This record gives sequence, structure tokens and C-alpha cells, in this order.
Amino acid sequence: MRKAFADTLLRVAEENPKVAFLTGDLGFQVFDPFREKFGGRYLNVGVAEAQLICCAAGMALEGWRPVAYSIASFLTGRAFEFIRVSVAYPGLPVVVVGAGGGYTYAASGITHHAAEDLALMSLLPGFTVVAPGDSTEVTALLPQVMQLPGPAYFRVGRYGEGTFEAEEPCVLGRARLVASGRRVLIATTGDMAVVVSKALKLLKSTAIEPIVYQFHTVKPLDTRTLDRIAPEIEAILVVEEHYPQGGLAAAIAAWRITRSEPMEFVRLGPPDRLALGNFQREQLRKKLQFDSEAIVQMCRNLWEKHR
Amino acid sequence: MLVALYYSWLRVSPDRVRDKHRDRFILSKGHGCTSFYAVLADRGFFPKEWLFEYGRELSPLPNHPCKHALPLLECSSGSLGQGLGIATGMLIALRLERIEARAIVLMGDGECNEGSVWESAMFAAANKLGNLVAIVDYNGVQAVGRSDQVMGHTSLEDKFRSFGWSSQTINGNNLVEVLAALEQHPSQDGKPFAIIANTRAGISFMEDDVLWHYRVPSDDDLQGALRILNALPIHLEQQR
Repeated sequence: MRKAFADTLLRVAEENPKVAFLTGDLGFQVFDPFREKFGGRYLNVGVAEAQLICCAAGMALEGWRPVAYSIASFLTGRAFEFIRVSVAYPGLPVVVVGAGGGYTYAASGITHHAAEDLALMSLLPGFTVVAPGDSTEVTALLPQVMQLPGPAYFRVGRYGEGTFEAEEPCVLGRARLVASGRRVLIATTGDMAVVVSKALKLLKSTAIEPIVYQFHTVKPLDTRTLDRIAPEIEAILVVEEHYPQGGLAAAIAAWRITRSEPMEFVRLGPPDRLALGNFQREQLRKKLQFDSEAIVQMCRNLWEKHR
Repeated sequence: MLVALYYSWLRVSPDRVRDKHRDRFILSKGHGCTSFYAVLADRGFFPKEWLFEYGRELSPLPNHPCKHALPLLECSSGSLGQGLGIATGMLIALRLERIEARAIVLMGDGECNEGSVWESAMFAAANKLGNLVAIVDYNGVQAVGRSDQVMGHTSLEDKFRSFGWSSQTINGNNLVEVLAALEQHPSQDGKPFAIIANTRAGISFMEDDVLWHYRVPSDDDLQGALRILNALPIHLEQQR
């Protein structure tokens, strides 16, 4: 995903001479082609997230389109107030990129976990919050995000996330249909879409056919699509690599209370607890029961229950 | 200091607030906006009548400068330790556009407690932002105490120097010294420049008293202050 991000950024910067890339001392070698090609439009501000954001804001005030890149946990947490005051308050078109969202850096420990990044960035008025699912979505969404008139958060992974197939193209602000189905809606975001797709393959031989949507745009939530499919839905299963507070499940739950249909609501994802134990990402997903097997099991339960 | 900047040194005027070549002034200590508003009004950036709207609902002049309310500002402020970083971003952008404008940031001594000031100071020197001037209004008091009691008896001039800046300490109440310091810029070596301006409130009964960081003057206080300044009495209610 990171390679796709660097390649796409290079293309975007070729087309728009006002695009600049600022990094908080992250991305060894990945952005060398950008630096070689654009010189001063590449800027390593050092391990200084506050300065990273303020510098990007200053450039945006002068009409530039800065991309501010650092590790998701540090950028959204440590620099939160700088993002709030210097980017969200004036509504500047700065793209804040959190590399290693969720548990990308699972084994690096609690300091590197970013299971609250979507919530933090969604809290800020005017922010568009995007969590692409794979390289294809990064490539499709980054150019669209770079056209926004205001600020955005863009969560990217590292590498080896895998890919998934979908039935619709990837359009910013719109939930993307991954698989047509009925009765049970699976809603997911970020690279959990790859895990959900794996679960779908395991269900292939059964009669269980959930509707699957990838919400790469977490904010603003695509409530139009949800409203359209709500009458056919008996249960909603949200799968996310994020704390229960302020992520996709919270956003869909807030939508659900506006509806009168009796839809059951279930969430699979990390609980409101620190993920201690130095687990690798796959093991963590299994342990916290939001891996593909857990998704298959929950899907079966919902399917049977509402028969 | 604002008088030295706005009546002499800054290349700004009401008819060129969008001019790419103007100097950028940022009041990073946004709580000091009353004097800033007064100077802007006197220099014709907006009608003086607006000053009587200060702090009122929907006023263009709120209690901290807001660019939504007063679009001619370079940026909003009110949260400390962000103006210097924003100025560095502006100068990086201007350098890429080959525009030779300067950026001046007015900060507080209390503001220099913020770690982000030093992230920005390090960055400015590393990137040789010779068009950057930081002025620290060293009034010696911050919200809950005297600055040197809170952060120790250390020299801000030395700190900026050790971060790769040129730096000079002056009497900020002396217009001649302020102008002379500004004339030192740009330095030959292309370093950013920090002026540590020791200041006093200028009203004897308000000086060196943390209480006056907060207190709203009564009418008696106002008239007393005006007498000290050899100014004519002002009767606010009549003006409104």
C-alpha cells in the first residue's frame, strides 16, 4: 500500500505543480523518486510532528497542496491540537497521511498502535476521513482526496496487505459494493476489506450471501447508500480495526438510530482495551476475534438467527 | 514594537493584503490582539469604529484574532506555539515560488515554554530561512507567575543562538532600539533572527504584576492609566 501511495503521489505531483510532500522523518527510500524528481517539494522536517503540521499549514495558506506524512499513531495523537488549530480551524487543504493505521505496527507495541486515528480525525469539523483497503484503492482515492477544497486524513498501511475484488469502482465519499447479496450487510473499512473478502471466499460454498460494502470514506459517511439498502437488511455486521469509539461502527450506529427497521447490529473489532502482549497483526486479529474465521462464524450466526 | 513594524519596517499596506510580495506578520501570541487591532485600525486596514466592536458577538475583532472574522489576517491565533511553524511553511512556499518576502512572528516569553516553538526554531535554522524574524515580547510575566520563576533564569538569546539563529536582546519599549535591531536583518550568514525584547506594560501600577494579565480595568483604572500616558480622558459609554 505504501508503494502504491508513493507512486500515485508522484503522478499527482507531476500534474499539479503546487503539490508538496512533507515527512516527519519517515519513509526510508520509498520517496526517493519523488525527492529526485521534485527537489524542494520534498521536505523532511525531522521527528517533529507539530512542526510538520504547522509548516504544511503555512504552505497551504500560500496556495500549496501539502501532504503531511508520518506514523499514524504519532501524527494523529501527538499533533492533534496542531491539526485542530492550524489545519481544521482555517479549513486548509492539507492531506494528513497516517502511515501504519490500526495494528499495522502491531508488534512494535502500544506506542505504535493507531486504533483511534479515525476517531480523532473524524472529530474535526470539515475533515474528510479516508481508509483505503488496498493498493488499488490508494491509487484511485489519493488523486480524488488531493482535489478536495478542505482538509483530509488518509490512512495507509505498509506492505503485504493483499488485495480484494469489488463490483464497483472506487469513488470518494461513496460506499463501494464489494459483493452483492441479501439479508445481512457486512460493512468494513481500511484493509479489513481484504480480510472480509477472504471470509466471503470461505462462505462461497454455502447458501450464505451477505451484502458487502467497503466504506473507504469513513467521514462523511455514505448514508444515501445505507438508506437505500436498509429496507432489505435484517442484520448489520461492522468489521473494523479500530476502537469501538468513533470509528466506522460508531458512525453506522449513529445512522441506524435514524431508521425504524428492526436491524440487528453487531461489531467485530478490537475492544476498548490496550492490545498488550506483543502479538503480530494476524495473531492479534485472531485473538481479538476479528479475523476471517470470526467473520464467517458471525455471519453464519446472523444468517441462521434471522431465518 | 507593533508601531516599529507597521509604521516603518513591514512591507504591508491596506491595498496589498493579497499581494504575494508583501511581508507576512503573524501575532502568534494571539491574546495580545488589542494593541494589534489598534495599530491595524490606525494604519487604515479597517475603520477605527470597528474597535468599539471588540469582543462583541459577530465582531470582526474577537478576543483572539480569527481569520474567518477578519480575512486580512495572515492566520488566526490563540493557541500558543504555532505561529512560528506556520511562518516557516509560508517561507518554504515563497522560496519555491522565488518570492523574496519576509515573515515576522511576534511571540510571548511564556509562549517559549512550548516545545513546538523549538521544533520550529530548529527547522528554520536547518532550512536557512534567513527571511524569518521572531520577536519575543519578554514582559517577564505569564499566566500564573513570573516567567523566570516558571522556566528558570536562562537566556532566550542564548537558546536561539544555540539553535542556529542570530539573536539580540533589546529594550522593547525603546522605539529606536527596536528599529535598530530590525535593521540588523537580514544577517550576512542567512540565519533566522530572534529579537528578545524586554518590555514593560508602560503603566506603572500594572507593571510586574501577574494580576494585570487578567484584570479588566475599571473606569478609574482607565482614567489613571491615561493620565500616566499624558493622554486625554476617554469615556467609553459615550463613544458607543
